[in-house]
Amino acid sequence: MRRASAGRASALYAAGTVLLVAAAFPLFWMLSTALKPSGEIFATPRFVPLHPTLENFQRLFADTSFLVFFRNSVVVAGATVLLTLAVSSLGAYSLTRYRFRGRDAVAGLILLTYMFAPIMIIIPFYILVKQLGIVNTRLALVLSYTTFCLPFCLWVLRAFFQSIPLELEEAALVDGAGRGRTVWHVVLPLALPGLIAAAIFTFILAWNDFLFALVLITSEELKTLPVGVNDLFNATIVDWGLIMAAGVMITVPTVCFFAAVQRYLVQGWGAGGVKG
Amino acid sequence: MVFPVLYNVWLSLFDKHAFMPVQAFVGLGHYRYFATDPEFWTSFYYGSVYAGVTMVLQLGVGVPAALLLNEAFRGRNLLRGFVLFPYMIPTIVAVILWKWLLNDSYGLVNYLLVQSGAARTPVAWLGPDYIMTALIVTSVWQFFPFVVVTYLARLQTIAPELYEAATVDGASAWRRFLHVTLPQTASVLFVIVLLRSIWMFTKFDTVWLLAGEGGVSRYIRTLPVYAYSRSFTYLQAGMGASLAVIMFAMLLVATAVYFRMFRTEEVFA
Repeated sequence: MRRASAGRASALYAAGTVLLVAAAFPLFWMLSTALKPSGEIFATPRFVPLHPTLENFQRLFADTSFLVFFRNSVVVAGATVLLTLAVSSLGAYSLTRYRFRGRDAVAGLILLTYMFAPIMIIIPFYILVKQLGIVNTRLALVLSYTTFCLPFCLWVLRAFFQSIPLELEEAALVDGAGRGRTVWHVVLPLALPGLIAAAIFTFILAWNDFLFALVLITSEELKTLPVGVNDLFNATIVDWGLIMAAGVMITVPTVCFFAAVQRYLVQGWGAGGVKG
Repeated sequence: MVFPVLYNVWLSLFDKHAFMPVQAFVGLGHYRYFATDPEFWTSFYYGSVYAGVTMVLQLGVGVPAALLLNEAFRGRNLLRGFVLFPYMIPTIVAVILWKWLLNDSYGLVNYLLVQSGAARTPVAWLGPDYIMTALIVTSVWQFFPFVVVTYLARLQTIAPELYEAATVDGASAWRRFLHVTLPQTASVLFVIVLLRSIWMFTKFDTVWLLAGEGGVSRYIRTLPVYAYSRSFTYLQAGMGASLAVIMFAMLLVATAVYFRMFRTEEVFA
C-alpha cells in the first residue's frame, strides 16, 4: 500500500474540517441562536451562548400553535409512510412475480416520472381534490404524498424483490404456506432494508413538503410544520429566537430517524430512489 | 401519477378559475399570451440562470467533497454523515437558517465581513441586488450533498488496480484523476448534471420561501413560482397549467438535446 505522508494527512484533515464547517456550521448556529436569550441574539455574535436558556422553546410551545402543527406533521407523515409501503410492496411484488402485458412499460413509465416536479402536478391535483370534496383535509395531503412517493418506492422495492431468489418462495409454497403467508414471512423480511429505505424517503418527503401543504390546507388547525413555521415571519417584529427554536424542533425528528437507519439509507440510495 | 399529468395538459387549454367551476375553452390562447408576456420571459431568464449557476456550483463543491470522502482518514464515516445533513433537513429550515445568517443588521455573515474589513458596511443580502446571490448560496448548500453521495457511490466501485497501474506508470495525482477517475465517472456525472438541472429548474419551495410573493421576490421569480402565482394568487388555474406544460416541454427538449450531444447509450442502468 501507498504510505501516507504527514503532509498528505494534514491536507486531508484541513479539507475535512472545511467541509465539516460548511455542512454543519449553519445548523450549529441555529441551535446556538435558539438557546440564547433575546438580548444576546442581537448583540455581538458569540458562537456559544453566554447564558443558555430554554426560554425560546417555552415561548414556542406556549405562545404559538407549534404543537398542533407538529402533531399534524407526525400524523400525516406516519399515515403516508404506512399507506405508501402497503401499496408499493404489493405493486412491486406483482411487478416482479407475475407476468402480464405491459409489465416493462410500467417499469419504464415509473422512471419517466423522475421528470415531474411537484409544481407540475399541483394544479390538476388541487382541482381533483376539490372535485372529490376533500380539500383542506389531512386525507388530501396523505393521498398526494402517496401519489408522489409511489413511483420511487416501487422502483426501490422492485430492485430488492428481484434480488430475492424464487426458490425460497417456492420452498415455502411447497411446505403449504399460502401466497399471503409466503410474502409476509419470507419475502418482506428479506426485503427489509428496501422497505426501510422506502419508509425513510417517504417520511422525509412528507415531513419536508411545503407546496402541497400550502395549497391543499387552508385552516390553521390542520397546517403542517413547514407552512406553520413560515407563518411566524408574518409577525411585525421577526422573533429570531423563536424561529430558530422551531427550526431545531423540526430538524430533530429527521436527524434521529436518519441516524437510526443510516446504513439502510445508503443501500436505498444505490437503488436510485432519491429525488429533490 | 399519469392521470394528473394528462389532466394538466387538458386544463391548459381552458380558461379555468381555481375555485369556481367555470371553464371556457381557449385552445392555445394561453400559450400565445405567454409568448409575448414579459413576466414569462423574465421568469424563464431567472429560472435558467438559477438552475445553471446552482448546478455548476453544486458540482464544483460536491465532486471535490466526494473525492475527499473517498480517501481513507479517521472520522471519515462521521464526516460522511454530517455532509448529508443539509440535504435531509426540511427546506423551511435551510431557508430560515440562511435568512438569519444573511440578515442585514444582525446576521453573522455581515458581522464577519465588516469585522474582517472585507466590506465597509453591511451588505443587504436579501435586498434587490443580492437576493439572487442569497438564493444561490442557500440552494447550493442545501443540494450539494446529493452530488457528494451519488458521485461517491460510483467512486467506490472503481477498481483499485486501475490506480495502481497508473501509479506504477508514474502518473501524478492530477493525471490519475484526469485519466482514471474522470473517464470512469463520466456516466454518473452525466446523470447528475441531468437530474440536478431538471430539479433546480422546477424548484419551487426554496425560491418561494426565501422571498415570498411581494417585494424583492420579483428579482428571483422563476417559472415554478410564476406558475404558482398565476394559479393560486390570481386564481387562473388554466394559465398555471399551461406554464407547467411549457416547463415540461422545455425539459423534454433540453433532455433530448443533451442526450444527443453527449451520448446515445442507456445510462440509467
